[in-house]
Amino acid sequence: MTDTRSQPGPDDEVIVELVPMVRKIVASRIRDPEVVDDLVQETLARVMAARSRVQGDTLEPYAAVTARNLVASLARGNDRARAKTHLLADLEPSESPAEDLLRQEESSLLAQALDRLPTEERDLLLAHEVHDQDTRSLAEHRDSTPGAVAAQLSRVRAKLRVEYLLIQEQVEPPTDRCRPVLRAISAGDRRRQRELDAGAHLLGCDCCSTISAALLDRRASAPRDDDVRVPISRDADVVTARQRGREAAARLGFSSTELTLIATAISEIARNIVRFADHGDMVIRTVQDDRGRPGVTIVARDVGPGIPQLREALQDGYSTYDGLGLGLPGARRLMDQFDVVTELGKGTTVTMTTWARRTGADQPTTGPGRDTGSRDTGTRADQPPTRRSRGDDT
Amino acid sequence: MPGPEPPGADRPLNVSILTQGAYLIVSIHTALDDSQMLQLREHLIAQVGRQRSRGIIVDVAALDVLDSFATRTLTELAEMARLRGAETVVVGIAPEIAVAMVRLSLQLNFVHTALDLEEGLELLGELTGLSDREALVRGSRRAD
Repeated sequence: MTDTRSQPGPDDEVIVELVPMVRKIVASRIRDPEVVDDLVQETLARVMAARSRVQGDTLEPYAAVTARNLVASLARGNDRARAKTHLLADLEPSESPAEDLLRQEESSLLAQALDRLPTEERDLLLAHEVHDQDTRSLAEHRDSTPGAVAAQLSRVRAKLRVEYLLIQEQVEPPTDRCRPVLRAISAGDRRRQRELDAGAHLLGCDCCSTISAALLDRRASAPRDDDVRVPISRDADVVTARQRGREAAARLGFSSTELTLIATAISEIARNIVRFADHGDMVIRTVQDDRGRPGVTIVARDVGPGIPQLREALQDGYSTYDGLGLGLPGARRLMDQFDVVTELGKGTTVTMTTWARRTGADQPTTGPGRDTGSRDTGTRADQPPTRRSRGDDT
Repeated sequence: MPGPEPPGADRPLNVSILTQGAYLIVSIHTALDDSQMLQLREHLIAQVGRQRSRGIIVDVAALDVLDSFATRTLTELAEMARLRGAETVVVGIAPEIAVAMVRLSLQLNFVHTALDLEEGLELLGELTGLSDREALVRGSRRAD
């Protein structure tokens, strides 16, 4: 090490003279020549660092003591390591035995889930995830585009999540609709969920509602969409639902009168769920019409008895409990669009929408003294409330 | 109101009830659900007897909606209170709530309404025939 200096100064020469003595001290105590070299160098480094503090004639004893100390501390370190080996040995392979077991279980679940996928999809997923093939080279193999492959991969992953959870919960979906619904939820595909009427299915299917909870948990950490879902089963939920509806509509710039009308309509419909159906839910969704006008749609679903006489129920004053009989007809009067689908023994879905009235150019106002009540009536004439009824004649 | 809560009837009502002489002045502080509305109604009817009240003022300014159920409960409260010798005045109905109530064709039968607390007290004076002093004296005498 000292050879690297082209012109060793007087200080360096003194250090170099120490080397044979230090080597002798260390070698007499340690057998491994590599460790000897290490310790000699370490000793010299320390002596050099202490050079300024140590008098010229005491440098030799200083080096000797340093070398001995280093050998002693190495031995102590080795002893400690030996003494603690059994402790270290347990810690290193895994954090805890349970964790190891969980990992094994998880990989076995995952293997089972992979087995359930069609061969082609499984191969695609493995090629991408395990063998690190990028979407472009996968696309070339398959005569496809990278985008299409990526989309397919995400569908396969969604499917895999569903199968994984089904295996984990050890359930087999009770109906043909379960898997498509769960896959749509897993993929976060809102259009498909709507096509399948996923919400109604979840309310009626215990299996799917368990599985979907895990899927939705996962999505909760992803960027949120505008849909707000409020479960309805007791009085307090009615208040929550109308407050959430008001908040959602407020973000779209509805006036405070419109907000109150929407909140009141939600209150009436949510109360019907508590009274007649025991439980259900409400989804509050912000929407846009063809002209880009924002609106709020409320979908209230239950799996209750259904409404046997829908036509009567939509008329004022018809009440089966001792209410005012204003629930359905009242909400219908408060919203722009109103739609009821009911099936006896299956449940009822109420879908209602109100569109924001812009005070800008595209929505001429009737005058400075207009009041919200009268201008609503005008809009209502363009969009007569629709009503569908299924199964109410049986 | 997020988070789990015990069933409606067990939750404390966010309502303060002041006894002002012969009158009960009721301020509702937050939205109430159906069971809480009913609980309030029962409580007030009992209170009318206990305090020998001649009038009730219910301030609903903090209610988010007055839907069919809330309206019906207030109407029933007024009817029941009147049977027990007290008049009811509802004050603080916000303009947008008034719009919604008209749209729903909701009517507050038996219930008197006034713009705010001050007008409500005045109206109660007319309804009960008690002057402001009499209303207060009644209260202070009973306190002895």
